[in-house]
Amino acid sequence: MLLLDYQNVLIQSVLTERFAADASPVSIDQTVSDFDGVTFHISTPETRTQIMVSLQIRCYQDLVRYGAEEVLNREYGPYVVAPEPGYDFSILVDLENLPATPEERGELVNQIALLKRNAMAAPFEQAYQEHYHLKAEASKFTSEEAPQGMREGGAVKVVQYREEEAIYVKASHDRVTVIFSTVFREETDRVFGKVFIQEFVDARRRAIQNAPQVLFRNDPPLELHGVPGVKNTGTGEIGYVTFVLFPRHLTPQRMPDVISHIQTFRDYFHYHIKASKAYIHSRMRRRTADFLQVLRRARPDHEEKERKTASGRSFKAGV
Amino acid sequence: MSQSLRPYLQAVRSSLTAALCLSNFASQTTERHNVPEVEARTSPEVLLTPLTVARNENERVLIEPSINSIRISIKIKQADEIEHILVHKFTRFLTQRAESFFILRRKPIKGYDISFLITNFHTEEMLKHKLVDFIIQFMEEVDKEISEMKLFLNARARFVAESFLTPFD
Amino acid sequence: MANQTPTVVMDNGTGFSKLGFAGNDSPSFVFPTAIATKGGAAGGGSGSGRPAVANKPSFLTGGAGPTGHLSMKRGTEDLDFFIGDEAIAAASGPGYGLHYPIRHGQIEDWDHMERFWSNSIFKYLRVEPEDHHFLLTEPPLNPPENRENTAEIFFESFNCAGLYIAVQAVLALAASWTSPKVTDRSLTGTVIDSGDGVTHVIPVAEGYVIGSSIKSIPIAGRDLTYFVQSLLRDRGEPDSSLRTAQEIKEAHCYVCPDIVKEFHKYDMDRSKFLQHVVRQPGGREVAVDVGYERFLAPEIFFNPEIYSSDFLTPLPVVVDGVIQSSPIDVRRGLYKNIVLSGGSTLYKDFGRRLQRDIKSLVDDRIHQSEVRSGGAKSGGLDVQVITHKRQRHGPWFGGSLLGQTPEFRSYCHTKAEYQEYGPSIVRRFALLGGPGGS
Repeated sequence: MLLLDYQNVLIQSVLTERFAADASPVSIDQTVSDFDGVTFHISTPETRTQIMVSLQIRCYQDLVRYGAEEVLNREYGPYVVAPEPGYDFSILVDLENLPATPEERGELVNQIALLKRNAMAAPFEQAYQEHYHLKAEASKFTSEEAPQGMREGGAVKVVQYREEEAIYVKASHDRVTVIFSTVFREETDRVFGKVFIQEFVDARRRAIQNAPQVLFRNDPPLELHGVPGVKNTGTGEIGYVTFVLFPRHLTPQRMPDVISHIQTFRDYFHYHIKASKAYIHSRMRRRTADFLQVLRRARPDHEEKERKTASGRSFKAGV
Repeated sequence: MSQSLRPYLQAVRSSLTAALCLSNFASQTTERHNVPEVEARTSPEVLLTPLTVARNENERVLIEPSINSIRISIKIKQADEIEHILVHKFTRFLTQRAESFFILRRKPIKGYDISFLITNFHTEEMLKHKLVDFIIQFMEEVDKEISEMKLFLNARARFVAESFLTPFD
Repeated sequence: MANQTPTVVMDNGTGFSKLGFAGNDSPSFVFPTAIATKGGAAGGGSGSGRPAVANKPSFLTGGAGPTGHLSMKRGTEDLDFFIGDEAIAAASGPGYGLHYPIRHGQIEDWDHMERFWSNSIFKYLRVEPEDHHFLLTEPPLNPPENRENTAEIFFESFNCAGLYIAVQAVLALAASWTSPKVTDRSLTGTVIDSGDGVTHVIPVAEGYVIGSSIKSIPIAGRDLTYFVQSLLRDRGEPDSSLRTAQEIKEAHCYVCPDIVKEFHKYDMDRSKFLQHVVRQPGGREVAVDVGYERFLAPEIFFNPEIYSSDFLTPLPVVVDGVIQSSPIDVRRGLYKNIVLSGGSTLYKDFGRRLQRDIKSLVDDRIHQSEVRSGGAKSGGLDVQVITHKRQRHGPWFGGSLLGQTPEFRSYCHTKAEYQEYGPSIVRRFALLGGPGGS
């Protein structure tokens, strides 16, 4: 596996099974986790034919501020219900009222499996809109005479998606900047992470000219000055990874893919650090086996040959 | 093999072969005990002068001989942070399996990355020159393994970064 | 609860892995413990077979999807693999070899297992291991070194927040607490764990496995399937494939109190004979008659001589022997709490028949000793076989039950403790749900 999926596999498989034409209704009550501390709850609260999927996400308040409700209402319009207690957002699907064709059902399943992605997409979508707006404004001026506010772009959107880490999104007239703050609690991960990020920074120069520009620094970048919650500890333990999305990434057609993809950055990054460690482990296991073999050569051969009796049984001859 | 590595390994080999001259020796301080003197350090007269063979300041071997045991400690080359962490991981992985290595010390001597302890019981059971071969081969391969792992890490990082950025293209 | 991430419960068995989150009543994923890797199926681990290192890294030629052709790029072979059902699908095509990293309940191939776990966590469960506690299971008599290796992987590769490793039999006991027959939540009892390959009888006292008394029986689900298949073949049914035999076994088999009477019943009442419709590849439907195998197949647990010629001890006798070889002060508890676990114990009335047979063995013995002692009266012995709803994934469900308790986290070893003491810390775990626990 190279890239992570955008959708939640479990929701997808449960719903696919339930939505099948010949499925008999059963009651479901499952709590499911996703990356970044997101919790889903799939249940059949009242009758077996009504499946409720609830989402709990720690930065929901942040997301609402950036228009998550509109996005979710747009995506799940007819299915949205009042959130289940303890959760932030719920949808209810009536199995007796499913879309008619299998294709449409499959579409609905995928849509629901992307619940987390869609919730997290709100600040990005808003930044895109801001960017379009600013671009239209900016086209009225040449770059020199543009008013100060316009060159600086919109306000920074902060999504504190993990306890110690946040995503910052900022739109301006010629770009959208996405900044991930990263913290490594463990020395090995920190060193591996550094190697990885360096390659992210270099990749654009070397191979993929059209990719977003990636920057890395250990103190808050200029864009984040004055943003509440951003502290410059000076110790460099928090790193900031900046993705600069250029107009070619910002076309409305590419928006859904770019948003889905950039969201997976942190988990992708951590997954590969762990996968590399697993690989290094398997190398070390092989190397250790080699060393043991060399050491075993130091033992003189014992006269412990297996011998056979006439009937074919084998036994060990004592030395 | 680089110019300075060969004489370095040769020097280690000769010193080790000379030092691996061990005999059974019961403890002088505790009755009915037989302990590796180099570890116990209770009778100074049975300890020999320790010897360091150094290739440069980052790579050296400390050989501490005694009448019935010898301790070999190796400092592995660590050019940067990555190599440092890889050496640390690898040596810990090995010491975790010290049981099956017989001669591996569970804890390295301070200032070194990995230590071996060979006693007269080991030399009685195993061939002396093969033990020396093992140490030398270990030193050669450890360096190779560390640099291969580092290469792998860089290659993997590059691959991962490119794969992530490609869909934006 | 809102801010606590659920505990991940993973029960990796020889045949199937059960993965899910604590608090749920069934595992989220159940798939074969199989991994398909590039290259032949020959086992790795030889000295020369070191993975190649990419000296010249790749230049990307195109977008690599999640299932893209990774093999094109050197140095990434270790990412090119599938697990579970996908592994079996991939292995039927060219280029992939199938491996089973667990043999006889114990992990044999750590390289494959590490990758299997990695994929389970990131692809299927979708969790960041740093945020979650993990509850893993191990077979009884697992060597402590295996535990240490497991801990090494979970703490060093995955940086998991906390780890608890529990013995499957103990978890199966905990799973039986859901049965209304269980009044006191004790961790003393005899677990009969019958999976696909082998059946174990494991006595557990106060949460500790009595290792010296464990007995294994080489009769389990697969043997039942073969037996059904051979009966179908003998009759010359139109479809006697292994899959059909398995379907018949799962859908129609039950345990009868007495086979002679049962044969008689069948001869009197033709409605007992069933038809099983098999949908063959290609859309054809074939009806297969189902007859005596309905009760004969599970009968091989109680009368092994009808199937096997090398193993002839009936299951009730084995259970009785196991309890008799356990320390005398726990035997009463072991008889009173015989817990079933695993797919091959699901047959209707399996528990009832087992209870009756063991009871009669025990009563005979008591009667004899009463006679020998010349008139002394025994107080009798309680024999109870517990059947419950969660039997199929018993160990997983027990883990789910214990993993959601608020004190579970305090029983786990954390990454910090691991670094402080080293891997040997996992040789000991405080007893979950034991005295003083929930």
